[in-house]
Amino acid sequence: MALADTGPVAAAAPAALEAEDVHKSFGNLEVLKGVSITAREGDVIAMLGSSGSGKSTFLRCVNLLENPNAGRITVGGETLRLVPGKHGEGLVAEDAEQIRRIRARLAMVFQSFNLWSHMTVLENVIEAPIHVLKRPKAEAVSYGEEILQRVGLYDRRDYYPAHLSGGQQQRVAIARALAMDPSVMLFDEPTSALDPELVGEVLRVIRSLAEEGRTMIVVTHEMGFAREVSTETIFLHQGRIEEAGPPQEVFNNPRSERFRQFLEGTLK
Amino acid sequence: MDFTPVIDNFDLYLEGLWTTVRLVFFALVFGFVLAVPFAIMRTSKNPAVNGPVWAFTYFFRGTPLLVQMFLVYYGLGQMQFMIELSQQPAFEFLQDAYWYALFAFTLNTAAYTTEIFRGAILGTPYGEVEAARACGMSKVQIYRRVILPSAFRRALPAYSNEVIFMLHGSAIASVITIVDLLGAARIINSRYFTPYEAFISVGVLYFCITFALIGGFKLLENRWFAHLRPREETTAKRKTKVSQAA
Repeated sequence: MALADTGPVAAAAPAALEAEDVHKSFGNLEVLKGVSITAREGDVIAMLGSSGSGKSTFLRCVNLLENPNAGRITVGGETLRLVPGKHGEGLVAEDAEQIRRIRARLAMVFQSFNLWSHMTVLENVIEAPIHVLKRPKAEAVSYGEEILQRVGLYDRRDYYPAHLSGGQQQRVAIARALAMDPSVMLFDEPTSALDPELVGEVLRVIRSLAEEGRTMIVVTHEMGFAREVSTETIFLHQGRIEEAGPPQEVFNNPRSERFRQFLEGTLK
Repeated sequence: MDFTPVIDNFDLYLEGLWTTVRLVFFALVFGFVLAVPFAIMRTSKNPAVNGPVWAFTYFFRGTPLLVQMFLVYYGLGQMQFMIELSQQPAFEFLQDAYWYALFAFTLNTAAYTTEIFRGAILGTPYGEVEAARACGMSKVQIYRRVILPSAFRRALPAYSNEVIFMLHGSAIASVITIVDLLGAARIINSRYFTPYEAFISVGVLYFCITFALIGGFKLLENRWFAHLRPREETTAKRKTKVSQAA
């Protein structure tokens, strides 16, 4: 844990996740040109930006689903050791054990749910706790059922993902992430693949997680959600942070011209 | 038609049946055990890993099973060192043609099964693999828990075909002196000259095994494909236990 005791007045919560100066290129296209964020415990960071701005790529660099070309990732005070990959794919984890340990603390929710289709709802939720965290099965099941209760899908625990609606599948994916007791949750456009009438049920679950003080980074197109739920809103444009601050500030008085245009465009 | 010779010599048929079942069963088991790692190697991007497997499947899918069996039995089996080896007490079993047929069948079914599994592995939705990586699974765990269980399910219909082909292909074992089902029928035919009776009976027996195999795969599919069937049918199945055709 980083020393967070900076004085009696500004006693900020310790940093749960720090990403410093993350760069990423695909061929000649530089998608991220040095993005840094710090998520302190309890922060809900909303990342906005038009498509192609690099926000999803940034999120995927944080848990190394994408290999950044440069940058530093620190989770709960532990810095990920990165070395250049052998096939020119950017930075890769030096220690496979370490990246697995860090990934287990950074649960991710995907745009397209990515549930394991051959497992039932409950099996999806208990899979990683049993096989990654090595929890006893009985414990994983009772905790998994508790979480499914919470996202309102306990009665669907024996269903297969294909038998659920998109909103239900995404709630299962959130339950699967929660079952890992993550220190930071990463949401990659969690509502973008959903029909408009199903967005609400998923946002309600994410909002309730924010209210109980979970640390989250949410890449989203839902302006209202960012405005009401986030503690910090970040606007990415062409691989750089263009605007960042508390949502009241950035939405009411955007300093960046591009963010102003973006807001106007989305409010139309 | 007179089936008396068949009925009188039914124990010969049963012996043949037992040989066929053993031959096919062990060829499939060993072939499967080889095919899983081969299929994983075959999906590798490294030519040093996938190249040898590619050459193996290319050869065994590119030549008739009968040719492969001849190569093993008349080629490998008649080599000086193999003959000497089979005269040692511990290796006397090598005088039996059964083992040469089993060896050829194993490699043949391994080649086909490798390609079936390879296709199924490549068909794994990439998002499911990413989800497994993102929650901290190791490569081995990802294969064991996500890729292979999902690939086996997808491979089942094609694999059931391979099993039936192997059963019918095994009939050529009778060419190298093995008394399998067809071998038994050939003995009856040559002894009593009753081709229709001898071969119709053997056809019926092959048919029965095939039917049992198809039934077995149907049960497996019902169990494993629950995640692909419409919901109503899954619940209906649980209530009645009598499954409908999926």
